[in-house]
Amino acid sequence: MVIYLRSGGKLRDRLKPDVDIYTRKVEVEGTPTLKEILEQLGIPDGLVAFAFADGKVRRLNYRPAEGDVVTLQPPVSGG
Amino acid sequence: MDGFGGTTLRINLSTEEIERTPTDPELARNWLGARGFVSKILYDEVPRDADPMGPDNRFIVTTGVLTGSFCPVGSKVGFGCISPATNGHADSSMGGHLGPELRYAGYDLIVMEGIAARPSYLYIDDDTVELRPAGDYWGMGSLELEERMKKDLGEDFQIATIGPSGENGIVFSCITHDFGRQAGRCGVGAVMGSKKLKAIAVRGTKSLPAHDLESHWNLTYDILQRTKTHPNMAPWQKYGTAFFVGWSNERGCFPTKNFQETYHKDWEKIDGERLVEDCLVSDKACFGCWMNCGKYTRARIPGKPDTYQEGPEYETIALVGGSCAFTDINHVAYANYLLDNIGMDTMSGGSTVAFAMECYQRGIITKDDLEGHELRWGNIDDFEHFVGMIAERRGVGDTFALGTKGAAEILGQGTIAFASQAKGMEFSGYDTRWYPAQLLSYCTCDIGAHHSKSWTITTDIELGRDTIEGKAPVVIYLQHIRPLFDTWSCCRLFWGELDVTPEEHVESIRYLTGWDITLDECMRVSERVWNLNRAHYIERNGGPGRRFDVAPARHLDEPIPDGPAEGKVVGRENFEAMLDDYYANRGWDRNGNPTREVLEDLGIGYAADNLEKLGHLGEPIPGGIPKVRGQKLKPKAM
Repeated sequence: MVIYLRSGGKLRDRLKPDVDIYTRKVEVEGTPTLKEILEQLGIPDGLVAFAFADGKVRRLNYRPAEGDVVTLQPPVSGG
Repeated sequence: MDGFGGTTLRINLSTEEIERTPTDPELARNWLGARGFVSKILYDEVPRDADPMGPDNRFIVTTGVLTGSFCPVGSKVGFGCISPATNGHADSSMGGHLGPELRYAGYDLIVMEGIAARPSYLYIDDDTVELRPAGDYWGMGSLELEERMKKDLGEDFQIATIGPSGENGIVFSCITHDFGRQAGRCGVGAVMGSKKLKAIAVRGTKSLPAHDLESHWNLTYDILQRTKTHPNMAPWQKYGTAFFVGWSNERGCFPTKNFQETYHKDWEKIDGERLVEDCLVSDKACFGCWMNCGKYTRARIPGKPDTYQEGPEYETIALVGGSCAFTDINHVAYANYLLDNIGMDTMSGGSTVAFAMECYQRGIITKDDLEGHELRWGNIDDFEHFVGMIAERRGVGDTFALGTKGAAEILGQGTIAFASQAKGMEFSGYDTRWYPAQLLSYCTCDIGAHHSKSWTITTDIELGRDTIEGKAPVVIYLQHIRPLFDTWSCCRLFWGELDVTPEEHVESIRYLTGWDITLDECMRVSERVWNLNRAHYIERNGGPGRRFDVAPARHLDEPIPDGPAEGKVVGRENFEAMLDDYYANRGWDRNGNPTREVLEDLGIGYAADNLEKLGHLGEPIPGGIPKVRGQKLKPKAM
């Protein structure tokens, strides 16, 4: 299954985008959770505040479907 | 001078003299604005024994080099004074529209001293500057007054106000503007109140001279195009900072019941999703911003009037919602309104009430002290009653009007151990027992504990939460880069969240001012400010500096009882080792005193002379000071 993960900021460095400057195409087996996908990519889940897909908040137990575009929201603080 | 309004106002509130001078180009170049201006002026002008609430303290309203420019987002205005909470340098900023309006009226900086003979407000309408009587306004809530003054003066005036809290000298009083933007920290509202200054009203219709307007605009336009499609923009627009609650909980750093715990089991009832679903009225943005992270909300509680407020944002949810153990987002939003209107910082205000709730839990204060009321965790009626006691300084409310440190010093009985503060200012909304770099950040912060100067939760995660290794240099780097935005008077979010680089901000400054300036030079200004504030604090409070970098016992000794961070605590030995590392990396001696070598390197040798006279100049470092102080986080290889 192919999904697309997107992010900016510090997470972008971790994500290593390959589709455009924010997006990485990820191939996974089965229907893993986001937490498991992050683990596979070597991204500490503590660096993801939440995920955002289809205009909704998704927690790390979310299981993306084929072709999903999921934004990873990094935690930041203080404007 | 390109990039500046051009005029500095000096106002003696006692004599009502108003003086206009051209903004000093040397001050502008060497200190850049806002936080930098405050640092230099306070150091040069305020007698070391001046009472923060007395006539010799300065009350400064200031913009920075990017305020009112196209650079995203130059919306900020800064306030400065000697803080009544910390007895040191205070700078606190807020977004909205007041800063740009001041610049468009032609003013970069307003320095006030003295105390007005009667309640007054400062009226600025381009070239007209007047102190006007505010007797009719005295006693009004911050939000109510802004609405009233808009009616009295016109919608196109930008207004900043204090509430009864500031009038009554509560040390964590804030300044409010734009119906919910606050300069919240350090008690700047208390100092404004001590000057008998109830409000500031500004209308500016001029333009800001720019050296190369076309390039300045083109750069901003590129940033606009890039950031509007940035993947992290939409979540910010939808939730603002409130989305952070769940993450903070799961990471074991969400303050709960006055930092007794770090996991709020009902967090889903008070997080960003709940806020948007239950309370959202509209999004709200500051001047020149297309992120609109502000959330204007309505709180509905049976038996109470509906309230409308901006927020709560993350910090308020953490320190009012979590720390006071609320379980309904409407209650948090209502508490937000109460504190905003009464004119208290929701962070220190929430923390102080939570501290009092723990005192009540432990029987240190009782119903007898509370006019027959209780002070139970998560009870909005108890919260409301107690906030009223503080604001009016009734009974034991007078004690808590001093904040957690001041109250603990009066209450005794070991309460100082659970007053989560540093230098007299309450912690931001992150527990530190599994986050040693954040503890170091709070305890070394030049304005008292505040995340905006150095936020290291993700640094701790990246470098390992159970280690102190390598944390101090990163804290120092952050203590220079993050406050730099307070010096530019510019929002940090486009940098932190949307990949707009500090170099682009500097490029924007170059186009605006014509200065040949680099990021390195700006970082040097930021380090200069940090060191001058340190010297000032030591001079005012009688060093050595290490004496002031103290962590509350709870955060050193008391393991977290449960949740994801169960059993975690930093420990005294680790904390002291971090301080040693921090001082060495700053070029300070082991006593936490800046050395002559570092102060002269930063062009503030006069501070070394002053410290030497007082016997608190740092001992020379064998082998010299580090050439570069601070280090950007280098993520571990994957």
